[in-house]
Amino acid sequence: MTQDSTGTSITFDRATKIYPGAASPALDELNLEVEAGELVCLVGPSGGGKTTALQLVNRIVDLSSGDIRIGGRSITDQSAIELRRTIGYAIQQSGLFPHYTVADNIATVPVILGWDKERIRTRTAELLELVGLSPVETWLPRYPAQLSGGQQQRVGIARALAADPPVMLMDEPFGALDPITRVTVQEEFLAIHRAVGKTTLFVTHDIDEAIKMADRIAILKPGGKLAQFDTPEQVLSNPADDFVAEFLGAERGLKRLALTTVGEIVTADSVRTDAEDAGWPDVEATMTLREALSLVSAAGAEGAVVNSGGSRLGEVSLHDLIAPPASAGGDREGLRA
Amino acid sequence: MSDFAPAGDPVIPDYGQASDCVINNGAFCTDWFISQWSTVFWPPLLSHIIMVAIAVSIGFVIAFFAALLAYRKKWLAGPIGMTATFLYTLPPLALFQLLVPFTGLSLLTVEIALVCFTLVIIFQAVLVGLTGVPDDVRRAATGMGLDRNQLLFKVELPLALPSIISGVRIATVLTVSIATIAAFVVDDGLGSPIIKAVSSPFNTQFVGAGALAVLLAFALDGLLVLLGRVLTPWTKARS
Repeated sequence: MTQDSTGTSITFDRATKIYPGAASPALDELNLEVEAGELVCLVGPSGGGKTTALQLVNRIVDLSSGDIRIGGRSITDQSAIELRRTIGYAIQQSGLFPHYTVADNIATVPVILGWDKERIRTRTAELLELVGLSPVETWLPRYPAQLSGGQQQRVGIARALAADPPVMLMDEPFGALDPITRVTVQEEFLAIHRAVGKTTLFVTHDIDEAIKMADRIAILKPGGKLAQFDTPEQVLSNPADDFVAEFLGAERGLKRLALTTVGEIVTADSVRTDAEDAGWPDVEATMTLREALSLVSAAGAEGAVVNSGGSRLGEVSLHDLIAPPASAGGDREGLRA
Repeated sequence: MSDFAPAGDPVIPDYGQASDCVINNGAFCTDWFISQWSTVFWPPLLSHIIMVAIAVSIGFVIAFFAALLAYRKKWLAGPIGMTATFLYTLPPLALFQLLVPFTGLSLLTVEIALVCFTLVIIFQAVLVGLTGVPDDVRRAATGMGLDRNQLLFKVELPLALPSIISGVRIATVLTVSIATIAAFVVDDGLGSPIIKAVSSPFNTQFVGAGALAVLLAFALDGLLVLLGRVLTPWTKARS
């Protein structure tokens, strides 16, 4: 893999959008500082302006007032067309060109930028490998209609990454996928994100997706106002207001458990020999506390036996599962490093 | 052969070599058709093909650019569409009659009329094709930094091709048919042997010429289908 450029910061500076004829703003003075390499999810109910916020960045929608800067440079400093060619863009339904093969789809922006054939060929193959479509020769000549939804979405991501943009905009990219494919593609994308480090703005209406993917979550409320901008852990434990608490739902305590894996809280000295007698279920160290809790509840047990690759790590009690030590969880920077 | 006309209706002058089929004015006399091919059938068939090709080509160019204009300037879609529809509703013979004082009994008169009938079909087909491009595809293309012309030539027109080609197919078949009545204006096309045979009811001539018109329509349609397959390979692609 060639060295991809790393991300660049994105700054929303009192970014406001009022659509013509609309009584209230779609986005109201949004201030947001997205750090280089960060994955920020924009969530909120319909009418919260999350898609507007995204489309302001690549100027599909024009700002009414305020500014947006990428790497310190205002997006209005260059033409919209030039700007868009430096920003990766992936959308729901993938938006792949039905009349282009996979190879041609991925090569869209490189071709426009005038890359030579050999460079495009290498880059295309490299990206297909990255999104897990190999051997590449099988996939290059296919048309989108010959791919499953998940495969189309992978190609869509490869296409967005093609010209190695420092910034990625993703508008509900996995919204149309079935739940199982969705989880797989989410995990693959997280791995890609960790590998290439593009600053990513990710719009989703699915709070669970945001909790899973985001370094930080920006929650927008109707009227286009920012309700809270913080890590998933903080958002779940300290909702800024009633709107956020309600948006996260009554299950926010459980959602928070999904941020930590069993492997992170298990300690070797917790070994109990009577665990199996007590009917404790086996769980894998990579499972989230939420998943483990579900299994424990189903088994009607007081804890679970933690395994990793077939060997026993120890146990976690019901109490450990529902009230994990404060140090655990929410530490995604550690995972990335 | 007798020196006298046979009992019943004399049909055409008998130079002493006519078959029974011709003498009895059978529905279709293959021998006569073959022997008269180079004089009675082939020249009108050729002029018919040329007439249709000119009309559809000119009609396509006009309708195509009108549709592009209507696509870019939405407010023009209504007026252009209505004009084209109006031209389409005129009875062909009446249109010939209207044009003759200006353009005479000429091929020009015929082509003007034929072009008028192709316009609405091709115009609508191009416009429907362009507006039928999926929104997500257009949005992705715009978001990736394609400019207006790149969007049109790389994305919108290629995706409109299946619709455009079906429009051209319909226009072509229709023009093959309407072009037969061009014989009222010029002595060209397959309408010419048909009209002559109708006034002196000799079956083989108008059955033969009529069948050629039908076959020509099928053949041109088939060619356009093949052209469509070559130009739009993705439409056949299924997993």
